[in-house]
Amino acid sequence: MVNYGGDEVSALVVDIGTSSLRAGYAGDDTPKAIIPTSYGYIPAQPDTDVTMSDNTTENAEQPAEKPKFSKIFIGESGPSMWRPGMEVANPLENGLIQDFHPIKPLIDHALNKVMLVNPAEHPVLVTEPTWNTPANRERMAEIMFEEFNVPAFYIANTGVLNAFAAGKGSALVIDVGQSMASVTPVVDGFVLRKGLAYSSLPKLVYAHSRHLLVTPTQHRRGIELWPHQLIASKSPVDVGAMPKFTLREDRVAQTTQSWRTWAESREVDEWVQTVAGVLEQGWNDQQAAQRPARQYEFPTGANAYFGSERFIVGEQFFFHSAQLVASNPNLPKNIPQLITEALRACDPELRQVLMGNVVLTGGGSLFSGFADRLSNELTRSFPHAKIHAPGNPVERRYGGWLGGSILASLGTFHQLWISKEEWQEHGKPIVGQRCK
Amino acid sequence: MAASAADIRSALSIPESSTPTAPQPKKSTTTTRKPEGISRELYSLIGPSAPSLAAQLAKPRLKQKPKFGAAGSKVKWELRAFKNPARSDSLELRHWEKVTPDGPGEYPFAKYNVQPNTYTYTQDEYTRFLEDKEWSKEETDYLFNLVRDYDSRWYIIHDRYEYPNGPPRSLEDLRDRYYSVCRKLIRHRPWAGDELAKAALVSSFQFDKDREVMRKKYIMSLENRSQDQIAEEEALYVEVKRLEQNERRFKRDREALLRILAGIDSGLPDIQEDDGVPLGITGDPTAIRKNKKKGGQTTDLESPATPSVPSVPTGGKRPHTTKNAAYDLQHCITRTEVPTSGVATKAAHQPAYLRSFKLPTPKAAIAPKISQSLAELGITHTRLVMPTRENVQRLEALMEAATSLVETKRMVDKADYEIEVTKQRMALREPSQSGDGEGRVEGGDSMEIEGSQMGDGENEEGEDGRGQSVISARSGRGRKHVSRFFFIER
Repeated sequence: MVNYGGDEVSALVVDIGTSSLRAGYAGDDTPKAIIPTSYGYIPAQPDTDVTMSDNTTENAEQPAEKPKFSKIFIGESGPSMWRPGMEVANPLENGLIQDFHPIKPLIDHALNKVMLVNPAEHPVLVTEPTWNTPANRERMAEIMFEEFNVPAFYIANTGVLNAFAAGKGSALVIDVGQSMASVTPVVDGFVLRKGLAYSSLPKLVYAHSRHLLVTPTQHRRGIELWPHQLIASKSPVDVGAMPKFTLREDRVAQTTQSWRTWAESREVDEWVQTVAGVLEQGWNDQQAAQRPARQYEFPTGANAYFGSERFIVGEQFFFHSAQLVASNPNLPKNIPQLITEALRACDPELRQVLMGNVVLTGGGSLFSGFADRLSNELTRSFPHAKIHAPGNPVERRYGGWLGGSILASLGTFHQLWISKEEWQEHGKPIVGQRCK
Repeated sequence: MAASAADIRSALSIPESSTPTAPQPKKSTTTTRKPEGISRELYSLIGPSAPSLAAQLAKPRLKQKPKFGAAGSKVKWELRAFKNPARSDSLELRHWEKVTPDGPGEYPFAKYNVQPNTYTYTQDEYTRFLEDKEWSKEETDYLFNLVRDYDSRWYIIHDRYEYPNGPPRSLEDLRDRYYSVCRKLIRHRPWAGDELAKAALVSSFQFDKDREVMRKKYIMSLENRSQDQIAEEEALYVEVKRLEQNERRFKRDREALLRILAGIDSGLPDIQEDDGVPLGITGDPTAIRKNKKKGGQTTDLESPATPSVPSVPTGGKRPHTTKNAAYDLQHCITRTEVPTSGVATKAAHQPAYLRSFKLPTPKAAIAPKISQSLAELGITHTRLVMPTRENVQRLEALMEAATSLVETKRMVDKADYEIEVTKQRMALREPSQSGDGEGRVEGGDSMEIEGSQMGDGENEEGEDGRGQSVISARSGRGRKHVSRFFFIER
């Protein structure tokens, strides 16, 4: 047991990302609970009585303590289930927690409802992005200690944890998530904050692909992104033909705009994950045309073949065309720009070390062809660059959680926990002192 | 259906014979037991004369089963709360632990909590030794705190260094300040140990800022090379390599030419071939040293072609000087000429040998005759009692004489025989020519024609047959191929 330095104290690891919240026992290789971070809610109306709907009692919170929501719906059947008048929101913005109201219900759902554990009995390790603010991490510590009554708490950086998950102490972590792409230099288990570079690149890719789908071209009509929850019936049609479907008009009338946006973004995501890709050798019209076109059918029954346009989507990660740059001055930096920026801020001596230990992680990096393209881009300017990109999607998507799982099960780590006693004695500053 | 004797008896109502059916021959269990690993049926077939192989067909030996729980007592585990001595608070975490008779010990991971040895200074020390116009005491304190916090990880310290209202500090500034303060502290504090240890400690805190800055600059300039510059550098490198090789090849050729013109003994072997590094750019110093160690006999590591002209002379052959000759005479050393023509191969190399081992031997074809003739003289050529140089030479001469004698004899015999045969033929021809010459000619002609036909047919058949056999050994598809090939060959 001492051989690999592990000492299991049944700690819990909670990793909150934009797309999902991961929770599980330290020492496991996969999180036990993976729930979407987006949640559905019915806004509180102070003057009217709230009627409890019969099918969602399990997830309903008492409106008394959360004045913002009369009801909150979390988990697999949370936002994805259509409910009249239900709004959908995400507590995270640019990878940071902006709204702490739903955080407690979210963690509570993951730990108590899915994992069926009592957080008061387990030390909890929470992750944070590198650009997290001190106020945010202190607030998180407060929630864990005051609301969940945990015996010990630690907040660790996802960049460092991703490096640990790859078995490296020093690494250049390229993390492509749902809303943010970041490049973090990690040295000896510490983040070089000055070298951090991040941008909301995935959002641009999303916006671009949505635009691509909705806008009609000469080959294809624009696609209506109705989610299947709002479709009563449909019949198969030929490729490119007008879809034949009927809407559930009763539902459409009661659907909120936020739910509609959320559901449509899911349709776009689905399309991106199924069809979109990126050329391994950089953009080339001929090569893009040579690739086989892929068919995709939307919930409305509309289906089409997507040829070279599916590669334009991925190109956004690596290259911005001049006209795009000209039209949008606040364009998020693409991956090569982020890497260059991160390296420029690092000591010249470190650059060699970092390029030899590039860790690719995050669900967005599973984009078809991403790893190959990245390695091609890197080897062009750094011939000795070595990329660690796990082929296992679980390791890629939950790299931060995995690193936390490793860290919190190490015997030497247990001296770093912030105990409840220390929290009560020192208060908020202890978080900044302990979690460097 | 076979009828037994008893059936026949009962059918013919013959009374039962007094002697019952012959008693079954007793199984010779006592004499031979069925060996292990042979099936009963097989054993009854082959009997005790089992092949020796069967003895090895013993039961396969399986891996020994591990004894679970049988040895010793069961290991018990217990969920225990433990305290980590590396912590200052009273946090108790719980983990599973093996139950040992002497109770829970010290937390095994506490020993990894090693606090680095850091230097601190008092206000008095600071004002006396550590004043620096670039640094305030507060900033120095801040620096020392950071160094302690981050265990002297300088990249991190530099990354986190944010002294309010302080001037921007480079990584080298920080290290320089820290190490210089440490050096001063060690120098001025009372030292219990010897001076040597103190000097060693001071030197361990040595830091040359200018050199570090220079080094970083070099790294930067290396990194900032443009693609063109890198390409140019590489091209130049290749060019240098090529020039060097040309130079070397030219030298080699010249030397070989001179040697051919002037002969091997003209003293030319003393010309030293150039070491492989005339330009001093390529190759690391270790390679040069290695070459030197080999005594100038360089083998060009880079050049792909092995030198065709043997460059042995440098070390392989010593020129004959008078001094050497005298030495040889004194010590009875005989030098043999190594065959210099041709390529110096491994086979051509002649090691030192005993003369008695290399007695001249006759040709294998005529060896028995020679030994016979020598035996007539009463000499055994296979053994020399005193294989001195002269004796060996004599023996050699004798052998040569004997050989020539035997060969002459053979020639004479052959000539005699031929004369005899010709004579006989002449004698035969004379009477036949006088007889029926016509018929013979006809028959001969027909025979000849037939023979030629036969021969042709045979020839064709033979070739075809060969082709067939080749074809039959191959697949049907190969047939065409083979026959085509065959035609071309023809």
